[in-house]
Amino acid sequence: MTTARATLARQPRADLLSWITTTDHKRIGILYLTTSLVYFGVAGLLALAIRTQLARPANDFVGVHTYAQLFTLHGTAMIFLFVAPFALGLANFLLPLQIGAPDMAFPRLNATSYWMFLFGGLVIFAGAATNEGAAATGWTAYAPLSEIKISTGLGQDLWIVGVFIVSVATILTSINFITTVFVYRAPGMTMWRIPIFAWEMVATSLLIFMAFPALAADLLLLFVDRNFGGHAFDPAYGGSALLWQHLFWFFGHPEVYVMILPYFGVISEIIPVFSRKPIFGYTGIVLAAFAIAGLSMGVWAHHMFTTGAVDDPFFSFMSFLIAVPTGVKFFDWIATMWGGSISFETPMLFALGFLVNFLLGGITGVMIASPPIDFQAHQSYFIVAHMHYVLGGGSLFAIFAALFFWWPKMFGRKLREGLGAWSFWLLFIGFNVTFLPMHFMGLEGMPRRVYTYDATGVLPLLNAIATAGSYLMAIGVLVFLWNVVVSAFDRTPVGDDPWEANSLEWATTSPPPEYNFDRLPPIRSDRPVFDARHPERDPSAVR
Amino acid sequence: MGRSWWPQPVTTQASLMASNWLLFLCAGAVVALIIWGLVAFALLRWRRKRGAATTLPAQLRTNIALEITWTLVPLVLVCILFIYTYRAEAGVEALVPYPDVTVAVNAYRWGWSFGYRGGPTVQGSFSDVPQLVLPRNETTRIILTSSDVNHAFWVPAFLFKRDAIPGRITVFDLRPEKDGTYVGHCAEFCGYAHALMGFSVKVVPPADYARWLKSGPS
Repeated sequence: MTTARATLARQPRADLLSWITTTDHKRIGILYLTTSLVYFGVAGLLALAIRTQLARPANDFVGVHTYAQLFTLHGTAMIFLFVAPFALGLANFLLPLQIGAPDMAFPRLNATSYWMFLFGGLVIFAGAATNEGAAATGWTAYAPLSEIKISTGLGQDLWIVGVFIVSVATILTSINFITTVFVYRAPGMTMWRIPIFAWEMVATSLLIFMAFPALAADLLLLFVDRNFGGHAFDPAYGGSALLWQHLFWFFGHPEVYVMILPYFGVISEIIPVFSRKPIFGYTGIVLAAFAIAGLSMGVWAHHMFTTGAVDDPFFSFMSFLIAVPTGVKFFDWIATMWGGSISFETPMLFALGFLVNFLLGGITGVMIASPPIDFQAHQSYFIVAHMHYVLGGGSLFAIFAALFFWWPKMFGRKLREGLGAWSFWLLFIGFNVTFLPMHFMGLEGMPRRVYTYDATGVLPLLNAIATAGSYLMAIGVLVFLWNVVVSAFDRTPVGDDPWEANSLEWATTSPPPEYNFDRLPPIRSDRPVFDARHPERDPSAVR
Repeated sequence: MGRSWWPQPVTTQASLMASNWLLFLCAGAVVALIIWGLVAFALLRWRRKRGAATTLPAQLRTNIALEITWTLVPLVLVCILFIYTYRAEAGVEALVPYPDVTVAVNAYRWGWSFGYRGGPTVQGSFSDVPQLVLPRNETTRIILTSSDVNHAFWVPAFLFKRDAIPGRITVFDLRPEKDGTYVGHCAEFCGYAHALMGFSVKVVPPADYARWLKSGPS
């Protein structure tokens, strides 16, 4: 690797206008990541307000009207504006680099997606400035509760429009990703050599492409009901209250995998690097991603077992089956570490935190796929615990792993390791202290989306513990922010490949030039940068 | 916190669900211990020692026999779990041909009405929580609906909930086996007073129930 060529790179403009008008996938990626992290900060503050309200029973930290808006905006922002868009941002930055392309297939469409995402989010939050406040029907916005007869405020309409804009932006991006990976790969980059992260993004994009139109249709129907006298969800006029749920979860369950498959990809990139081994079972991991994507299109009604209106055994069995390909990934990650040379830099710490937390979320996921268990657990705090173990303990930890891992590539300097370990342990302990007790709250009979609870029994103690844990997590996030600030003053160049990694993004400079690559190393396997570092090895060897 | 973290089951149906839960709890615990154990073992055994020579470990990529095994074993496991789930669910959802008692339950913002067949209709909102009276060791048929938005009828001690959906009628049977008073909640977010939309269930001996039905609620 030569580093002198960095000086050959044309210096890109760095003023505000150049960021607003950019079509460079790396800049759009960084805009996506930054915006989604800001939304994460806001949604996190809303979560702290929720936990403060629930610190003791009959608390009056916020009023009941505010509380409903808090959990609605928290869920909406975390799901639509953070966990999914962060993956889109990361893929924006990484996909062209990983496959050796100069940019995305449709750079202008890419910029359009970002700006729609930014403004869609702002439209959702704009509801908070209206007379009756923001939407207050939960991120699931079940009709008929969200119909105009009950939810009269403009906030609900702004929620519908905002989520609609974000979902259209997401569909456009999925088309861009699929086209880029299929059409723009460098010579030598065959399909079975593209990095696992890129594969997971292909599976994710297919899911988006199939699932998000159902959400868009659902939102349109509700908008027509509310504003133009439609009755799609109004049983008094022959509409169906169940229809909302069917359309919503036909999107909503694949959405769960839209929020987890990219992070399976992140984990599959990080564990090999810090184990000094290739990913074990590359083919199996890729096939598992598509098995999960396919199965996830046929499990939506497991969110509706308690309606008594769906074929429970079918949806139950399909949901159980998802555990099989997910298990394959887990075994492959363990086999990757097996016999390796494992080091514990911050990205690896967060990846291991993901393994520990996500496993528990996966196991409770199998439990609630069993209708007789779901009849007790559904819409209780057990569900809240389950989904936070998947999306918080899983995706969020993978997000931090990704930030620490690719930060040097994006900005040319590393985040500090010591502070990184501090933020990991604070977040890991804080996370489990917050969400482990919620399993027991749910089984004890605490419904979700309540602003107060039974003052007798164990609920006050469990809730106080959970609130303390949430503050610990907040400190962990603050340590991360501090890390960003202090490392910004580091002037030590990190070089092209600070982690001794595998995929093509590490073959160019940090940060990469506008056009990505002066020249590409030969691509003879799924880890060309490893092959270039070890010319003594045969790239096609399997041992 | 009760046996295996669930409330003690107090209906015939709840016992089925409790044993199903116990099975999943044990299976889940075994899987978790194996996976976490493997991760912990790998980390301890193959952590990079400080100052050790950095030789490249064996670059093993695949082992088809192993990969087929860890695909098939979980597949068999989930099939077994599904068989037990299917049986438990069939028992919970089964309806007797002639229930002893029939109650029409209507949920609304924010209260409940309990209409007893051949008896009174009891109604109450969140400020005056209504009580559902059921006879012990007899089967009660609940006919559930809602008159405005989605609600859910949940009695944690029965380990059971069912959605009350406007425009739909949902039917299920309950057979309480223990006298006592149990807490019930609405479990589906239905607006601002959702957290307060409770009710209570009082299970009494059949003779007391017959007397109560005649004299009406006090």
